[in-house]
Amino acid sequence: MWENWSGNLRFSPERVERPESESAIRDIVRRAAGAKKTLRPAGTGHSSSLLLATRDVLISLDAFRGIESYDPAKREATLLAGTTLGEAGNLLLALKLAMHNLGDVDVQSVAGALATGTHGSGKHLPALSAMVAGGRMITASGEKVEFSLEKDPDLTRAAQVSLGALGICTALTLRLLPAYRLHRREWCTTADRCFAHIDDLAERHRNFDFYWYPRSDRVKLRTMDPPGDAPESIPYARLVEDRTGWSSEVIAKVRTLRFDEMEYAVPAEVGPECFEAVRRRIRERHRKHVAWRVLYRTVAPDDAYLSIAHGRATATISLHQNATLPFWGFFNDIEPIFQEYGGRPHWAKKHTMAADDLMPLYPRWDRFIAARRRMDPDGLFLNPYLERLLGEEKA
Amino acid sequence: MRPAGRKVWAIPGGHIPLRTTGPEPEETSSDTVCLLNAGDRDAAVEIRVYYEDREPVGPYRLTVPARRTRHIRFNDLIDPEPIPLDTDFAAVVISDLPIVVLFARKDTSRAENAIAATLAFPCD
Repeated sequence: MWENWSGNLRFSPERVERPESESAIRDIVRRAAGAKKTLRPAGTGHSSSLLLATRDVLISLDAFRGIESYDPAKREATLLAGTTLGEAGNLLLALKLAMHNLGDVDVQSVAGALATGTHGSGKHLPALSAMVAGGRMITASGEKVEFSLEKDPDLTRAAQVSLGALGICTALTLRLLPAYRLHRREWCTTADRCFAHIDDLAERHRNFDFYWYPRSDRVKLRTMDPPGDAPESIPYARLVEDRTGWSSEVIAKVRTLRFDEMEYAVPAEVGPECFEAVRRRIRERHRKHVAWRVLYRTVAPDDAYLSIAHGRATATISLHQNATLPFWGFFNDIEPIFQEYGGRPHWAKKHTMAADDLMPLYPRWDRFIAARRRMDPDGLFLNPYLERLLGEEKA
Repeated sequence: MRPAGRKVWAIPGGHIPLRTTGPEPEETSSDTVCLLNAGDRDAAVEIRVYYEDREPVGPYRLTVPARRTRHIRFNDLIDPEPIPLDTDFAAVVISDLPIVVLFARKDTSRAENAIAATLAFPCD
C-alpha cells in the first residue's frame, strides 16, 4: 500500500521499483512498456493529487539524490531528480548558490515539485519550474534524452512542468542565484487593513503572502526582504516573528499537522476580488467546520507550457482542511468561484477539472500534448487520472 | 512565587456560537479558556475535547510560560482538529504544574452582546 503525506491518497501498485542507475530505469521502462503496463514516477508523496496513482508500476527515484555537477560562472547546477528541495537548498548553499524561491515547505523532491508547478510567493518571482534550463529523462522507449533551453526549447518548456507525463526525469539543470540572506517577518493585522494595502505590500516586499483566518477575520502577513532593505515597520500590523537567515533556511517551514489542499491560480489583477468572494463564501457557509487559514500568494509569469502562471501575472489562493476531516464539500463549494475568475488548479493538489476545461486556460496546451505524444506515443506514463486531465488515451 | 491552582480542570459547557454581529475579530463570538501560571516554571498543558456523539479529540498541546497568562480561543484551535461551531462540547484541561483555569463565552449572535465567565471545575 502506498500512502501520500496527508494520508488521503492510498493505492496498491503491483510493484514499487527503486532503481539506482539510469540503466536500471531503462530496463524498468522497457519491461513495463513490453507488458503494456502503466508506469508512474513518485516523488516524496507530498502531493494529494492522483497524478502518481497506479495499480501497475511505481518508480521511486529516492536513490537519485545530490548535485551531479555545477557551473559557478553560469550559476547553474544539475541536481538528481530525487533530491528534496530542502537537501538541494543545503547542498547549493555549500556552493554559494541558491534557488530564487521556495514554497511553504521543502520536503518535496526537486523533480516532483517542479513537474507539478510548485511555487512560492513574490510578485517578481516565477514558479520554481522557471529555474529549469535543461535536464535528462528516460522516455517510454527507454531512450535517454537530454534537453535544454538552448538546444530544444520546445521540449524544455514542456518538461518544466511535465506532470511526469513525458518520461522519467533523472536530473534537472537549474538556473540559480548567488546565495542570499532574507529577513523574514510575520505580522498580524485584520483582513480589511490587509486588503487596503495589498498592492503596496506585494510591490514593496521581495516575498509577500498572507494567511487569512476564517474564524476571526484576522490576517497574518509574511514578508521576506534582503536584510537592511525592508521597511522598518508596517504601521497597521503587529510584528510577531522576526528572523534573518539564508534563503534556504527561512523561506520554507516545517508542517507537522496534516491537511488536504485545493489551490487555484487566477490573474493577479482579479486576485483580491476573487479572494474577497472566497472569504465571503467561507464566512457565510463554512465557518462551522473550517478553521484553517486560507493562503494568498503572488507569482510572476513564465513560459512553461503548463505552468499555472503561464503568460500571466498570478495570484494563488489555497484552501486547507485537516486531513482527518471531510474536505470535498468545502472545496467543491469554493471551486466554482476560482473558475469564475479564470482559475488554473495547482497540479499537485485537489481539483475536479479535466481536459476540456483546462485546454482553453493554457495557450500552449497543444504544444505540451504534442511533446507528450512524441515522447510517449503509447501512453506508458498515462494513468486514468492523466488521461482525463489531458484528454489523452493509451494506445 | 508558589504555584497557584490545580493540575486538572473540567469545562463541561462548551458551545461556540455560530453567528457573530459586529466587526471582527473584536466582536467574534467565541469560547475562551484563560490559563494562569503563577509559578516559576513553564506549564505544559493538554486539552482534550469531548462531544455528545463521538470519541474525544486531543490532546491540544500548549505551554503557559512561568508567571504568565494565556487566553486561548477554542475557535482558533486546529491541531489536531478544529472544534465545530454551534456544537456542544466539553473540555478537560490537564497541566503538569498547578494553574488556574477560567472559561469565558462571548456571544454576539445578537446586537446585544453577552459575555459570561466562570471558573472551570477543579478536578484533582
